[in-house]
Amino acid sequence: MRSRVTWGAVIAVVVLALPFLGVDDYFLHLLIMTGLFFLLTAGMNLLLAAGQLTLGHTAFFGIGAYASGLLAIHFGLSPLWTLPAAAAFTGFVGYLLGRLTLKLRGAYFVLVTVGFAEVIRLVATNWMDLTQGPMGLAGVPPFNVGTERWTLVSKRDYYYLMVVMAGGTLFLTARLLGSRVGRALAAIQSNESLAESSGISAYAHTMLAMVVSCALAGAAGGFYAHYITFLSPELFGFQNTVTMAVMVVTGGQGMVLGPAVGSLVFTFVPEFLRMAAFYRMLLYGIILLLVVMYMPRGLVFYLNALLRGRTAPPAPSADADVGLAPAERPDQGGPTALAVRGVTVRFGGLAAVDDLSLDLGRGEILALIGPNGAGKSTAFNVITGFQPPNAGRVQFDGVDMTGLPPYRIAELGLVRMFQRTSVFPEAPALDNVLTACHRLARTRLWELVLLTRAYREEERRHRRRAQAMLRFVGLDRKAGEAAKNLSCGEQRLLGLAIALAPDPSVLLLDEPAAGLNAVETGELMRLIEAIRARGLSVLLVEHDMKLVMGLCDRVVVLNYGVKIAEGTPAEIQRHPEVIRAYLGSGEIFADA
Amino acid sequence: MLAELVQHLVNGLIVGGGYALMGIGLTLIFGIMRVVNFAHGEFFMLGAFFLFTLFSLWGVNFFLASALSVLGVGVVGAVVERLVLRRLRSEPIEIPMLATVALSVILQNAAILLWDPSPKTIKHVFSPLPLTLGPIHMVSIRIFAGLVAVALIVGSHLLIQKTRIGRAMRATFQDTDMARLAGVDVDKVYMFTFAFGAALAGASGALLGAVFWVYPAMGDLAALKSFAVVIMGGLGNFLGAIVGGLLLGVSESLGAGYISSGYKDAIGFVLIILLLLWRPQGLFGKKVLPR
Repeated sequence: MRSRVTWGAVIAVVVLALPFLGVDDYFLHLLIMTGLFFLLTAGMNLLLAAGQLTLGHTAFFGIGAYASGLLAIHFGLSPLWTLPAAAAFTGFVGYLLGRLTLKLRGAYFVLVTVGFAEVIRLVATNWMDLTQGPMGLAGVPPFNVGTERWTLVSKRDYYYLMVVMAGGTLFLTARLLGSRVGRALAAIQSNESLAESSGISAYAHTMLAMVVSCALAGAAGGFYAHYITFLSPELFGFQNTVTMAVMVVTGGQGMVLGPAVGSLVFTFVPEFLRMAAFYRMLLYGIILLLVVMYMPRGLVFYLNALLRGRTAPPAPSADADVGLAPAERPDQGGPTALAVRGVTVRFGGLAAVDDLSLDLGRGEILALIGPNGAGKSTAFNVITGFQPPNAGRVQFDGVDMTGLPPYRIAELGLVRMFQRTSVFPEAPALDNVLTACHRLARTRLWELVLLTRAYREEERRHRRRAQAMLRFVGLDRKAGEAAKNLSCGEQRLLGLAIALAPDPSVLLLDEPAAGLNAVETGELMRLIEAIRARGLSVLLVEHDMKLVMGLCDRVVVLNYGVKIAEGTPAEIQRHPEVIRAYLGSGEIFADA
Repeated sequence: MLAELVQHLVNGLIVGGGYALMGIGLTLIFGIMRVVNFAHGEFFMLGAFFLFTLFSLWGVNFFLASALSVLGVGVVGAVVERLVLRRLRSEPIEIPMLATVALSVILQNAAILLWDPSPKTIKHVFSPLPLTLGPIHMVSIRIFAGLVAVALIVGSHLLIQKTRIGRAMRATFQDTDMARLAGVDVDKVYMFTFAFGAALAGASGALLGAVFWVYPAMGDLAALKSFAVVIMGGLGNFLGAIVGGLLLGVSESLGAGYISSGYKDAIGFVLIILLLLWRPQGLFGKKVLPR
């Protein structure tokens, strides 16, 4: 920690003193361009933290440049005002594009942003009245503060302006990535369904990243307009997009310093390659290919690994138990925690769930069983908002929540654990649980950016809570281990801790014992019992009949989407229809 | 009036056939390998330059030269897969994508060094006089290009549906691990897929190169358009790429004829944005639910 501060101070002093160390104007120009690319790539990096690569940032850069330039030319406004206005406008355009495209993922998003940039380029080329087309827009005023006297002229002036803007960008992105927003973005990239069901809105967070990212690109464009004082549609060239993508990915995606290092390296590499004359771009391509092939995690990642021999994560402190919520839960809405009424889901002509009704009592453990394909997972998807039903309603604490998005349902206090991967594989176990504390956060965005006292307190509280959750499931000694390195059984337990972190009142578990051995299953049963003892209601889907019969108060049996029986475990084991439904799938009660 | 419309439609369909070829290649590569191929435009460009070199410079028979060009691009594709993409298979999607971006920079600049940047024409063997069929006029090279595109599309379809390697490709597309367990040599499938996709782009480049101009940066716009095509049709969807390609060709031709030729190249992307409002997963894509 101390060495990081020292290094930061040294770098800051060098950056501030550089123009007085006898460097020439061209070198300063390259540094200014580095800063410009940093603004652009830092924004791309925010989106990339959520797994969304945009190749359309030239469009936002260009929009910002033209907006600031045109405002200054036509209205005679000082760039002191037009530059922020351009950034805000670009952020707004980003919002509009986000409305259309943020539901797209992966390659779709990449390609649509490429297309968007191309459309904007064509508009800038063809809308002659506004942009003067390919001839370009000359006469953009240099940066000034209203009067001639305070006009930036020299490279040194612009260098310092850029230092201020890049410093602000570094601070903003570091705060966002280093806080719960950064965790949420990483969670969305790593396991979007789980993030949503932990109360994280993928849409809201990617939108935040999108708007900030575009506003930064717009600010970069505004700076460029008054620095170069001439604009042309060349700004939108795909070559610039390629350069930015190269910088952000080779720098180290998702890492705060990645874009800075990437921008620095790939602003200067082409300059060094000038001596190669004709072969310059060919060499550039080859260097790029080698970096991608042999350093796919990005330069910062390998620098980090080189500088420190992988420091161990801090051991969890043995703090006071802030664990599972005590019984202070207000008893709203009567004795029924969750009510499913006449829910039907059809896929084509086939009814996966047909007119299903069930009640989960407060503090009850209810099992939903049935042969494979009976519609259990579909029922779970309806209850948790991943699948809108064709008919029927779902009420939670007496409130109708049919059709709400998954994160809203989680916010209300109904959280699920998934059947397959119910963890964020890349992150350490503790961060997995910490991420899921998201819905408990009460501090505002500005508080986490400015690192207020309230925010720091809250972070500490959540960290303690996450540790307590890990201790509860018996994983406190694995806090620093990446989730994907845990054993199958440990991953199920971690999944349970993640589901408990948002302090739910109803827990849905989809085959929690799948892949567990007998000992682990016993431990799991003990945990579920303990969870119920704290006042939570549990609905679970399970094939392990020992667990179902030994743990549950009541059982609901589905077959071909229809409820065929409901009752206590003892009643279910004698039920003729249940026995008939299961005949094909072996003697399921043999070991119960 | 009507004749003009028909003329636009026919022009659009012929260019659209070229787009569809590009799109099929791109969509196969993405569907099977999960690689967004940013070097696709360069394979298109190579197809045109190989034809230019073989036919215009070395005087090889036009049809033989066309076939050899397509084959040559396929070989380049196979080499790229073997040397670059195979090593990046376990990386997240943007890493192989960026590798193809680097490849596109390399290939395009290699082309500038080998053939210089000035645009060239291929003086093909067809008569420059247009054929007239009722109200429609069409030079025969365009008819040839359209017919070859149709033949290649049908051929690709048959290859995927009827042959052994096609079956292996479909299996890999559905579930790579299961395909491997069932004895499919997935490495071979990937290599073939990339080579085949590249060759289709090369074919498109050779055909359209004979109709229009040949220059090192000709692939940029072609690549952008093939992206538009596959998004419209749904990434990884064969039929979608054909429909998307024809749709793009026709709407561009109509747009250029009736709206503005300056905005012609933007039409595909405007279409995409409108389409995505209605169907986020493309025309033929499917939604997936969590488990």
